[in-house]
Amino acid sequence: MIIPDDRTNLNSRLTAMQVGLSALFFVLLVSFWAIQVLQHDKFLEEAENNHTREIPLRAPRGALFDRHGKVLVENREALNISLVREQAQNLDRSMRLLAAVTGLEERYVRDAVDRGRALPRYQPIRVVADATMPQIASVAARRHELGDVLLERVPTRAYPRDFAAHLFGYVGEISSKQLDLPAFEHVKPGSLIGQAGVEATYNDLLMGQDGARVVTVNSVGREIKVLRRDEPGEGKRVQLTIDADVQRAAEEGFRIAGYNGSAVMLDPRNGEILALASVPTFDPNDFASGIAAKTWNSLMTDPLRPLSNRAIQGRYSPGSTFKIAVAVAGLEEGVITPDFHAFCGGGATFYGRYFKCHSGGPHGSISLRNAIEKSCNVYFYTVGNMLGVDRMHKWASALGLGELSGIDLPSEIQGIMPSTEWKRQKFNEKWYAGETISVSIGQGQVSVTPISLAVMAMTVANGGTRYQPHLVRAIDDGNGGGWQPYPAPKPRSVVHMKQSTIDAVHDGLFLVVNGAGTARRAQIIGYDVAGKTGTAQVISIQGKARAGKTTKDLRDHGFFVYFAPAKNPEVAGVVFGEHAEHGSNAAPIAKYMIETYFAKKEGRPMPAYPEVGKNPLPLPPAEDDVIAAGEPITVAPAVAPAARAAGHRGGN
Amino acid sequence: MFDERRLQHHIDWPLLTAVLALAGIGLVMIYSATWNPIAAQVGGRFWTHLYAFGIGVGALFVCLFLDYRRLCENSLFIYLGVAAALIYVLVAGSTQGGAQRWIALGGFNLQPSEFMKIALALALATYFAENNRGAQNYKDLAIAGGIAGFAFLLIYKQPDLGTAVTLLPILFGIAFVAGLRLKLLAIIALVAIVMAPIGWMFALKPYQKERIQTFLDPEKDSRGAGYQQLQARISVGSGGLSGKGFRHGTQGQYRFLPEPHSDFIYSVLGEEQGFLGVLGTLGLYLFVVLRTIEVARLAKDRHGTYLVVGLISCFTFQVLYNITMSAGLAPVKGLTLPLMSYGGSSIIATLAAFGLILNVRMRRFTN
Repeated sequence: MIIPDDRTNLNSRLTAMQVGLSALFFVLLVSFWAIQVLQHDKFLEEAENNHTREIPLRAPRGALFDRHGKVLVENREALNISLVREQAQNLDRSMRLLAAVTGLEERYVRDAVDRGRALPRYQPIRVVADATMPQIASVAARRHELGDVLLERVPTRAYPRDFAAHLFGYVGEISSKQLDLPAFEHVKPGSLIGQAGVEATYNDLLMGQDGARVVTVNSVGREIKVLRRDEPGEGKRVQLTIDADVQRAAEEGFRIAGYNGSAVMLDPRNGEILALASVPTFDPNDFASGIAAKTWNSLMTDPLRPLSNRAIQGRYSPGSTFKIAVAVAGLEEGVITPDFHAFCGGGATFYGRYFKCHSGGPHGSISLRNAIEKSCNVYFYTVGNMLGVDRMHKWASALGLGELSGIDLPSEIQGIMPSTEWKRQKFNEKWYAGETISVSIGQGQVSVTPISLAVMAMTVANGGTRYQPHLVRAIDDGNGGGWQPYPAPKPRSVVHMKQSTIDAVHDGLFLVVNGAGTARRAQIIGYDVAGKTGTAQVISIQGKARAGKTTKDLRDHGFFVYFAPAKNPEVAGVVFGEHAEHGSNAAPIAKYMIETYFAKKEGRPMPAYPEVGKNPLPLPPAEDDVIAAGEPITVAPAVAPAARAAGHRGGN
Repeated sequence: MFDERRLQHHIDWPLLTAVLALAGIGLVMIYSATWNPIAAQVGGRFWTHLYAFGIGVGALFVCLFLDYRRLCENSLFIYLGVAAALIYVLVAGSTQGGAQRWIALGGFNLQPSEFMKIALALALATYFAENNRGAQNYKDLAIAGGIAGFAFLLIYKQPDLGTAVTLLPILFGIAFVAGLRLKLLAIIALVAIVMAPIGWMFALKPYQKERIQTFLDPEKDSRGAGYQQLQARISVGSGGLSGKGFRHGTQGQYRFLPEPHSDFIYSVLGEEQGFLGVLGTLGLYLFVVLRTIEVARLAKDRHGTYLVVGLISCFTFQVLYNITMSAGLAPVKGLTLPLMSYGGSSIIATLAAFGLILNVRMRRFTN
């Protein structure tokens, strides 16, 4: 029984409980109001960040086409073999099995998985990039045992084999250094970018916009559903100025002739590059999905340096091809007229030293046209001596020698066109008049890249416009606007030459191929090929004697610069045969390219290589550029060590 | 004897409805929290809980129709029986997650500590009701403290500090309404404040200290112990005014929220039903609490009053603590939300307790 007094006390305490607890519930309600209503936006964003992930989708790069619309470089779907740790019941067993099935070393598979340890467990770790068909087939066949192995499709560059590798270049993952460059401001880590060739120069056009899959993931990162898919945007399609058949002819020509080297063909009417080849070559497909360390090392240590683009990165002494520049300089400076005759008695004395013509001489009294045709050294010693080195420098530079061509490929190097100023700056020495004599036949310290010789051929061919060689004709951004012409670069300069100069030089160069000259192997009846051979010494004759027996290839290089047809030229360029011994050995490759060009233009079947099946022709009777047996090629002895130090001879 | 059929007219239907409504909302939330979005089906735990809920409703009616005075008479035996079960748990109980809390009963794990709440409320209510002095005598308080302390120790040893602590409101609640002197109440509060640092140094295990430290600064350890607290707050906060909708809470569905079906079921509700859902359920809980205290006021005898107060003190403490924790506003502790959290023993014991509460009200006119 409860006493009344007690009952009052009890009632008030129960009421106190009710009031107190109501107050606590109210405080709780206000707290929820603060979190759920007042701070809602902040927490909603945090929740979104928790469960949505963006998984990048690689955009295909833009395709490359030749000037006639033929596809040169496109994309294919590569299959990567990846391992998903989250789905592995026994990771160790899976790695062993995968190694056995794909024929890889187990250590290789383990290394690949170890590299991916930092990734979330649900993310596939790439073990084999661009798997081979047998690998894919054997993985597919054992799908039930390899539940944790995934085949992923990735768009990958597909390059033609043995075709224009240096021109296309290759792609590779962006390096951490490149990521810091302003040019790659919007490129994400891990993206593939062009690392060489057109792929690098026109990376912005070709690269495209990576897409993404936005997915919902759970707390362990497992994908639950796809929220959104931003399709990747393919890169712009780019039409090159290249003619695939001419390019093919150039590379095939080197293979048949058995030389390494490079070839460039330009359109002298606008500077478009019709072909640009460098041999030996590499396979850009090796780079397309990450190059293997072994392949990379062998490319880097190969003494033939297959990654080097000889057309723009090789420097050689131009030999007799330089006589074109000397002839132009002499005529334009008024030192000679086209009818100027010099007497070649098989050699001549300058500054107390006897300089030989080559064994094809003596040429007797000889005119400019015939001096070019026969490549008479004495004639050009004489003209060079009258000009002096600085006036030769002026005209050779105007024609592009010793200058950058400005070609739209990365890492072009510059040649050397010496002058008194150049020597003073470089060696702090004065110019010796005797050095002028060797420069006048393209020896001494002159060194040029094949592309700069092609530029000279083009400029002489078109009467003086030094176009900037370029590779892109048109682009198509895929927005339905079709192909839009890509603006050509402005000409580098215009060289004003008298018509009589142009005619005389053209006549001489025509005779080299069609008369009694050194390049008859480039003759094409009806197409009036004009050109000039040149032989570049790898080592002086004494040096050869000193070196004795060596494993190094010391045979001379051969050049052939050309344009055709002689009147209204449509093509101009150069062929450089490494260790081809004589410029005339480069001529058939040029002939093959020119014949291919005209056959294509006129709709005839593609020609065969001009000298297939024939016995190699005997060398012409004369070495056209040898100065003097037993004589050093540089005149002033003081220059010789410096010249070697400059490394312009043979080293490239 | 009395007529059982007449008693049915005195059942507190609004209170029973509110209790069953909360349990029903709990079931819906557990359905959502155990949903597997990958397999697109509900987890097996939902069915376990539904089964337990059925048993719990049965237990509620059993407790309703047994006269609570009979139970009080036997409260000592009930208390000792449950204590024996707890001792058995300590010796031979089954272990989950490092704690030994359960008795395996053929596919069903019984957690005796949940039933100790009822047993202790019965024992203390009987003790204070029968000594005629209420809770004014220090000796009586000491004995009551001993009864509660023994049960506390048995559960604390499992270890399950969370459940052990829920026994203390039973003691304080009954002692308060049984006339505990306010001066003494102040002293107890003072001692608690003084003892807190000592307890911190000697009584708490490192992980318990870590939880409290983390609570004070959750960002400091956002992948470890602070993770749960942060995720709970994100869940509730991202729910907004009206929530993300049933089974559309990303935090719960994708398991960013730990234990969404048990300790953090209210976070799931906050995320999916929003502030409006919170308002509704908090209202229901408050209604249940206030209505139950009315039952204590209406009780025919002190046994009934004290029993109801003991039961509702324990219930309210757990509700307030769990809901505060579910918004990331209290240290994370393994304490379920009565009526809503997953847990068979919990739902059965809670419904049984409400059976007793309804029992006291129903029999207020009987002799």
